[in-house]
Amino acid sequence: MNDVRSGTAAAGAGAMAAATAAGPRPRVLLCECAGTMANIDFDRLAAAIATEAEVVRGAHWCGREGRAQLLEIMERGDERRLIFAGCSADFAARRFQKLTARGLRMEVADIREGCSWVHGDDVDAVTRKALSLVEAAVRFPATTADVLSHGRRENSVLIIGGGVAGTQAAAELAQMGHRVELVERRPFLGGRAARIGTVFPTNDCGQCLPTTDDQPGVRKCFHRNEAIDHPDLHIWRRTTVESVNGRPGDFEVTLRRLPNMVTDACVNCGLCETVCPEPAAEPGTKAIFHEYYDGRVVRTIDLDACSFCGACAQACPVDAIDFTQSPERATVHAGAIVTATGCVPAPHDYVSYLGYGHDGVVTQVELAEMLPAWEEQAALGHMPAREVVMVQCAGSRDRRYLPYCSRICCMIALKHAMRLKKLFPRMKVTVCYLELRTAGIGYENWFLAARRAGVEFLRGTPPEVQFDGDGRPVIEVEDVTAARKSVLRPDLVVLSTGLVPPSETAEMAHVLGIELDEDGFIEILDRKNRATETAEGIFVCGSAAGPKALIEVSTEASAVASEVHNFLRSAGRRGAPASVVDAASCVGCDVCSTLCPFNAITLVERPADAPRPAEVKDDGKLAVIDAGVCRACGICAANCPELAITHHQDDAAILGRLAALTAGVDKPIVGFYCKECAGAAISLGGQHRDAYPETVRLIELPCLGRVSALHIIEAVRLGAAGVFLAGCAEDRCHYRSGDASAAEQKRIAEELLAEAGLEVPIEQWHLCAVDRLSVARRIRMFHARATHDEATLEALERELQTIGGHGLPGGAVLAGAVSASGGGACAACEGGESGAHGR
Amino acid sequence: MPTAADRRSGPPTDEPTSTTRYPDEVLDEIAELAEECSICYQCGTCTSACPTARDLYRGPRRLVRLLLAGEIDALFAGDDLWRCSECGACTDVCRMEIDVASVLARLRALERVYGRQRCPERAAAEAAARRLARRPRIENTAFAAAMAAHGYVPRDVVGAAEAGMKIVRTRLPGGKRATAAVPPTRADRARAPGTAARPEGEGVTLPFYAGCSLPQDGALHALVHEVAAGFGVRLDEATDAGCCGHPSRGAVPAQFQADGRVWTACPACDDGLTKEGVDAAPLWDALVARARREGFALRARATSFVPYVGCLVDRDAALAALADAADLAGVEMRVAYPSLHNACCGALGGMYRGATKGSTRLLRFAAESGAPIVTPCSLCRDNVRSAARQMRLHVPTYFWPEFFRAAERPAEETSHA
Repeated sequence: MNDVRSGTAAAGAGAMAAATAAGPRPRVLLCECAGTMANIDFDRLAAAIATEAEVVRGAHWCGREGRAQLLEIMERGDERRLIFAGCSADFAARRFQKLTARGLRMEVADIREGCSWVHGDDVDAVTRKALSLVEAAVRFPATTADVLSHGRRENSVLIIGGGVAGTQAAAELAQMGHRVELVERRPFLGGRAARIGTVFPTNDCGQCLPTTDDQPGVRKCFHRNEAIDHPDLHIWRRTTVESVNGRPGDFEVTLRRLPNMVTDACVNCGLCETVCPEPAAEPGTKAIFHEYYDGRVVRTIDLDACSFCGACAQACPVDAIDFTQSPERATVHAGAIVTATGCVPAPHDYVSYLGYGHDGVVTQVELAEMLPAWEEQAALGHMPAREVVMVQCAGSRDRRYLPYCSRICCMIALKHAMRLKKLFPRMKVTVCYLELRTAGIGYENWFLAARRAGVEFLRGTPPEVQFDGDGRPVIEVEDVTAARKSVLRPDLVVLSTGLVPPSETAEMAHVLGIELDEDGFIEILDRKNRATETAEGIFVCGSAAGPKALIEVSTEASAVASEVHNFLRSAGRRGAPASVVDAASCVGCDVCSTLCPFNAITLVERPADAPRPAEVKDDGKLAVIDAGVCRACGICAANCPELAITHHQDDAAILGRLAALTAGVDKPIVGFYCKECAGAAISLGGQHRDAYPETVRLIELPCLGRVSALHIIEAVRLGAAGVFLAGCAEDRCHYRSGDASAAEQKRIAEELLAEAGLEVPIEQWHLCAVDRLSVARRIRMFHARATHDEATLEALERELQTIGGHGLPGGAVLAGAVSASGGGACAACEGGESGAHGR
Repeated sequence: MPTAADRRSGPPTDEPTSTTRYPDEVLDEIAELAEECSICYQCGTCTSACPTARDLYRGPRRLVRLLLAGEIDALFAGDDLWRCSECGACTDVCRMEIDVASVLARLRALERVYGRQRCPERAAAEAAARRLARRPRIENTAFAAAMAAHGYVPRDVVGAAEAGMKIVRTRLPGGKRATAAVPPTRADRARAPGTAARPEGEGVTLPFYAGCSLPQDGALHALVHEVAAGFGVRLDEATDAGCCGHPSRGAVPAQFQADGRVWTACPACDDGLTKEGVDAAPLWDALVARARREGFALRARATSFVPYVGCLVDRDAALAALADAADLAGVEMRVAYPSLHNACCGALGGMYRGATKGSTRLLRFAAESGAPIVTPCSLCRDNVRSAARQMRLHVPTYFWPEFFRAAERPAEETSHA
């Protein structure tokens, strides 16, 4: 019984074809879908199929009786291929989910959404089409998806960055049962959040972290948070990543750790700091310093500033200073890597145009540092400044400096403005802003509260900060809403500077082999669906991928922990078998390895015993596909100039199906579509029963990148009046570059056809599921254009005019089941070749 | 790129933004300019930086907004386009790197040809420019007469009358002309070589471009030569030099060419020549540099002064040059904040049109400081004087050579002896 499963999983595409040729006649389960396919003559269909396969008819296979009968067939275990001729593969998969779990493996010939439901009353024509669909399925077996196990994955994760994001992810992953190596460049954990004062929107400090103990919602200070003490959580302080080798699932990482010099014996008495003679770079600090107590390390020595005089070691009452420590290298293995390197305030040269460096001009970070002292002044009844002006977007949203929005500066300004108004109600606080971006839970209330507190908001931004003869700042700025110029003469100018990636990010990205986005932050894999993955096995969380508020950082940390957990625990990938290179045909060019969107193909030295084409010399290269990485999209197979790559849906099968589907059809229209977005649109459109002509013959591919010029030309050779290629929404190919590959193959085909004098319309479409209501009309229009059916074209255009561009279904069989809004979303696609969705 | 046709055949529900029907080339050019400005997000930095945008001019931001909104009538109707002094500050500060100054210049070019609701001042200036385009240089009298003929009378009648008197006096046969020590021309010097003010032979000769306004005030013209001579500098003035081409008065094509650097006494000349690719620099810079090099001091008319550098200069460089001169003269330069000293003096389209917020603030500051105003631009001097008169403030205003000159040096004594 379960032999079916193992047999399918083991069989490569070639082996399967051989099995078909020699094996027993396949069994076709013909479904009438409870009488909803009235335009198919099932008697005729069954009789015709019977010449090639054994037919088992059923009125309703997914009903109780049908399923029982199917179970019976399965239990016979006669190893025949099962072909289900009925609804679409997606629909059938849901209906037979339980049987699939019990080992049912069957191929699908879609004669419902792909035939009966989308065609008219011409019983003869529809039956012939249904027959061709079943014949194509019978003759050319498809590979069913299965679980492909990948290589072993280390049960450990390397987290780079010990700020809030990295530490929280580390604690959660350790709790989930993974070994965690938490690497922090500085001596202390906690990152920026722990070092700044209060944070919005709660107005308390940023030094707490959710705990992983049983009570929900519990948070504790870093130094009290026992989640960080998990035995599987190793903290590497003052450590950087030197190199990364290996593969996703088993990275080998070399770390370099600088010594802390101060041991755990330290009791935080501070004597060392009083005796240290060496000042450090930061004003007010010495070579031996403390920064933020995260519960473990109290003090450390700045190795650049230290003169190794030994005064601190002599003064230390507990002998906690050990100068014999030296830098060390270590190698760790990690199944996954998380980058949580955060962001830093923009360098000051980004804001020097606003007078930074002059007295009376500070950044918001510096104002935060000044606030405790100002609080004391307020208690004494002093007001240190009469007027404060905050300049938003200082050096941000500016093509000359930082072109992006750092997202949190508006809230920081509101926080500080309100704090100032609270301390000094008579202080004039003006915020010069471009747009106040207060999009977050409860943020708008802060804006409201700030207005109520008397903070002035001036829409406009100065090009410079000037200084008068007394050195006081003068700001000349257009009040844009009033369309007049104001001259402000504050005592203090506060610049809301943006945030940038730390300077080490580019180097780290190079070591990890990951991409950076246009702003220098770590690129995420998918800006809609995958905020926390940057490459296979490499994750990102927190501000490393762009500035974020604490709540978002915390959310991402938990999200990344779950994703890493899934990645490490995953047994394998469910999908079709990997493509295979035929060494006897491969000439070792780099087309496939360049085009593969997943870097699954490498060129290796051709082994001496490998077969080779006649023209290849002994030292030629050979392309090798890593089956663990390959996603079986078929882009390589479509582009290989030597046709040396076999995809599980090989050229013989595609061309064979093409021949079977177009045989005996006058002026067919051939459509290749990917089974992802375009497949969703076409299949859902079919369930919507929007009609298009029977002469339209569709071939499903895993990705539109599988289509090659060869297929298009063959379709035209077989008499196609037009060919369309339907893929995912623009720039949203599920295999990243499939639409680009298809566009290139379309161009090649068009050139070759033009040379041969064949003028056949070929279109590439970008569809997604929202196009379900318009896809049938799009096909009808293409059909009318390709077959020069002026009457239909005119009728369709009239129809479009009467519905005012709202993509209501044309020729809808089921009236009343139409959502106007859903249809409206598709209106953009109607005019041109390409859809405008998904951007 | 949206074309004019796109714009015309826009959605029918849109309100018409312009009642006038403009020819396609206007709509195409407007569409092109709007495309160039499409990334503008109205931050207002340009207007904040604009030296003439204090009050009389609502600034580049608003013009760009009108352009983006397709309000061509409003764009062409107002005087705003013509208040621009083409200093380029808006382009320098634009966050989106839009060349705002060039957009405004191209809008003016369009308006010149297609605008219907004309700015009266611009019409007057244009009439003057039309006459002047045939001549090598702008004649202030002709310019003023043309503007008056078009119903444009300068706001400061007293000042205008004074200026007119001066010009008339200079021109009257046997008038003051003889006493106004006309500087030696190239031809004169050719006749009598070596007869310059500095006989000790250490003097230098600099190529000098006098521009259009200076030669029409004979006394001031002579003063410039005299002060330069005090520094041991002979000014080699090409009497037939053409127009610098500065567009402040309308579309006058540049008619001047030079090989090397030329020295000027007018920021508009500097600007106009530089835009034409001529290396021009203020004469005062050369004089101060020479004083520093030769080690002699400057003599000033008062112990302190308030600088005013005009809207066309590189503000910080011009203020630094004046500070340098103040340092050599041992006098105090009083600066409130830099943009106070280069805001618009009130000369819109080339003629005084009343005190601006900028000149009001400047004059108040000078009055409070009890110091005269010194400017490197003779036109600015007249405008600031007019503003002071209007505000009834006693603040003397001097052109650079009226305030500074070279101090007597011991060496000079010996050479005389």
